[in-house]
Amino acid sequence: MRNSLFKKLLSGPYIFWIVGFTVLPLLVIAYYAFTQNGQFTLANITAITQYAHWKALAISLVLALLCTFVCLLISFPLALVLRNLSLAKGHLARGRNNMIVMLFILPMWINFLLRSYAWQMILSRNGLLNGFLSLLHLPKLHIYNTPWAILLGMIYDFLPFMILPVYNAMIKIDQDVINAAYDLGATKQTTLRKIIFPLSLPGIISGITMVFVPSISEFAIANLLGGGKILLIGNIIEQEFSEGNNWNLGSGLSLILMIFIIISMLFTAKYDKNGEGGTLL
Amino acid sequence: MKRFIKQFYVGLIFFFLYVPIAVLFVLSFNDSLSRVHWGGFTLKWYTELVENAPLMDALVNTLLLAVASAGIATILGLAACIGMTAMKHSSRQVLTMIAQIPMLNADVVTGIALMLLLARFMNLSFGSVLIAHITFNLPYVILNILPKLKQIGTSTYEAALDLGASPAYAFFKIVLPEIFPGVLTGFLLAFTMSLDDFSVTYFTKGPGFETLSTTIYGELRKGIKPQMYALSTLMFLVVLLILFIINRQSVKEERKIKQQKKKHSLSRTALCLMLFLLPVTLSGCGKQKENYQNEITVFNYSEYIDPEVLEIFEEETGIHVNYEEFATNEAMYAKLSSDAVSYDLLGPSDYMIEKLMKEGRLQKIDKSKIPNLKNLKKNCLESCESFDPGNEYAVPEFWGTLGLLYNTKMISETEVSSWDCLFDEKNKGNIIMSNDMRNSIGIALKKLGYSINSSNPKEIKEATDLLIRQKPLVQAYLTDETRDELVAENAAIGVIYSGEAYLAMEYNEDLAYSVPEEGSNVWFDCFVMPKDAPNKEGALKFLNFMLREDIASMNFEYVYYTTPNQAVIDSQPDDIKYDDCIFPTDEMVSRGEPFTYLGAKGEKLYSESWKRLKSR
Repeated sequence: MRNSLFKKLLSGPYIFWIVGFTVLPLLVIAYYAFTQNGQFTLANITAITQYAHWKALAISLVLALLCTFVCLLISFPLALVLRNLSLAKGHLARGRNNMIVMLFILPMWINFLLRSYAWQMILSRNGLLNGFLSLLHLPKLHIYNTPWAILLGMIYDFLPFMILPVYNAMIKIDQDVINAAYDLGATKQTTLRKIIFPLSLPGIISGITMVFVPSISEFAIANLLGGGKILLIGNIIEQEFSEGNNWNLGSGLSLILMIFIIISMLFTAKYDKNGEGGTLL
Repeated sequence: MKRFIKQFYVGLIFFFLYVPIAVLFVLSFNDSLSRVHWGGFTLKWYTELVENAPLMDALVNTLLLAVASAGIATILGLAACIGMTAMKHSSRQVLTMIAQIPMLNADVVTGIALMLLLARFMNLSFGSVLIAHITFNLPYVILNILPKLKQIGTSTYEAALDLGASPAYAFFKIVLPEIFPGVLTGFLLAFTMSLDDFSVTYFTKGPGFETLSTTIYGELRKGIKPQMYALSTLMFLVVLLILFIINRQSVKEERKIKQQKKKHSLSRTALCLMLFLLPVTLSGCGKQKENYQNEITVFNYSEYIDPEVLEIFEEETGIHVNYEEFATNEAMYAKLSSDAVSYDLLGPSDYMIEKLMKEGRLQKIDKSKIPNLKNLKKNCLESCESFDPGNEYAVPEFWGTLGLLYNTKMISETEVSSWDCLFDEKNKGNIIMSNDMRNSIGIALKKLGYSINSSNPKEIKEATDLLIRQKPLVQAYLTDETRDELVAENAAIGVIYSGEAYLAMEYNEDLAYSVPEEGSNVWFDCFVMPKDAPNKEGALKFLNFMLREDIASMNFEYVYYTTPNQAVIDSQPDDIKYDDCIFPTDEMVSRGEPFTYLGAKGEKLYSESWKRLKSR
């Protein structure tokens, strides 16, 4: 405990940074949100009750939840399998571990727009996927310019943000602990539920946060793969800042989104306490 | 069997992640400027890569920025995470909550807010972009390190302390190796975010600084240049190769030694990355900026000036051109209103010019200093008077029409002579509308016989209702992608600008362009001079230079949009001179209407109508 003050001081530069470059800009946004032509107003906040706005928010929310859920559904078993692959005879092969991490990150080093264009070429009406299907005499798929294409694009873009923290948490679990569970007669399911899942929970929560939070304000994919036919809350905010030229309304709606950080925190906090036992460092 | 299923599953996920990359890989060998048109196999994009100095500069900037911002964010974040573990639960919660704000905010919001703030106390340059990138990188670092710290117990660390290790020693020997995967992932994700960012970079950068992202978004309108695919593929392959080498090495070492290898493979990773980055960084530093007596700063539409033209100007006059590009009028306006940079010339469109004029941001241009104004086409200047009475403020750069690109195999010429074809049940699913609200609402207004600049609520409501009824027939609302969709024959008709229609027809000879009889929009992109232009003389010289016949001709051949320069038009061969897509006939122009500024009320009305349409 002697050096706990010193440890706290380590956060100093970071706190300084977020006050300067996160909180202050947020205040700028708040100023725009609560004014219109220099007059105080709540109209930009209550604007969320307008049909177009809350509907966009609802769709964004559904898509973000679906995206997070599917990413988790894919990532958890994947991390389990990868854990087995990278544990050579009980010891972690670090080289291979780094390799696996990099292989998931590498596709994202190609620019987002280029990747989305590639998806357009795969999914479009006369695209690669339909060309392949008709080669097999299968019916064509029409998911391009639908919400399903948006969901697919989102999953593609956010999947690595789920896989990596879940995988990182899982390789840390001691094989001895798992073996002990088996020795004591636990079935595979029980071990998974009672040992592996709780121990990888911190990673899962980070993954959920990193996928859910940014995916709420997603808008570019809706234009690129959804054909611009569906309005997400991100699209509306973007429109108000650009073509609509109403920064005040855009700021107001951005502030509304802050609620979801609080919700995500409450969710995290619920699990955070459980894991607190051994985390004093 | 079980093992097979497992491996199949992993393979499937990798397949999903790598399929688009494979598509881009193939595209990098495509001998065509359009991504949807296969022009044969070529290696020229790779060989041209080295000679493309601006692209190499952008690559260096991107890598420097990504390494620096991810590195600093990792150090800040790591220190913060350690500090946070010593804090009370509640303060830790508050800190992680604030950390997530940049992650939640739409990029535009983060970008504009940071721009407004940073412009107050620093020049927008590499430094401001770096600060912005560190800010949005931090949450990713923290979210990767915190869970690892939570996982490891305190016992080994305390044991080390009991055995006499200093806290720092214990941290580097015990804690860091344990949480290293989290630190590495945090760094790499931060690196990735920085590499990919466009919006925040655009708003926080100054003129003359480009990254790969800003270059790509600038190329959007005319199609991304295949060199970009080649560069991406190359970067990708180099990193993959390094990875395989490292993996090979460390597997070998693993067999031999147990403990020391960690250091080895780590330092080797770092070494290899450095070796990869070093030549690029050096090539960036090696270049020296020549000393110019003075300079002008120009903020123009992307892809509107042949880079060679700028070089000639610098050689002839000794004036350096600080060149910055924007993709939309509104993006330009946002940047301009931060007053962060003093521009000498801007290149916005008609309605935006009127808006800037009305806000008193522009100054009249001294025409006596620009003798080459005589080269400009008469009726083009007359049309410009609708937003610039007396032609006092604006010098036209390029212009054109808004019309229909259609596939002659799918739809007849008589049909596309009217906007009605866009509202015809027969063409359901084959229509691409414009994702620009003024274009789409403007078309509906024209079809109803109103002015394209109407701000009468009743007329706008009528137009919006028409568009709502039309929505089920529309395949997509697009702007930059319309051309490719038509070339790939994914649709039969699309709303498009004349300049891009011309490009499309080069790739697919079944395509044709039409400006419907009800009339359409004629657009003008012009140079204007802000009130506080620091180098007025230089800017006037530049304008005169741009209007010179040889230069305007060179630039026309680079951009292939309609030039307002009569001297250039006269010198074109007949097949181009009489192509009504590149050079609209006088009759087409007389049917067209330029956009004018709607005023704040009008903007709001359009914006709300557009949302009403899109949320159906």
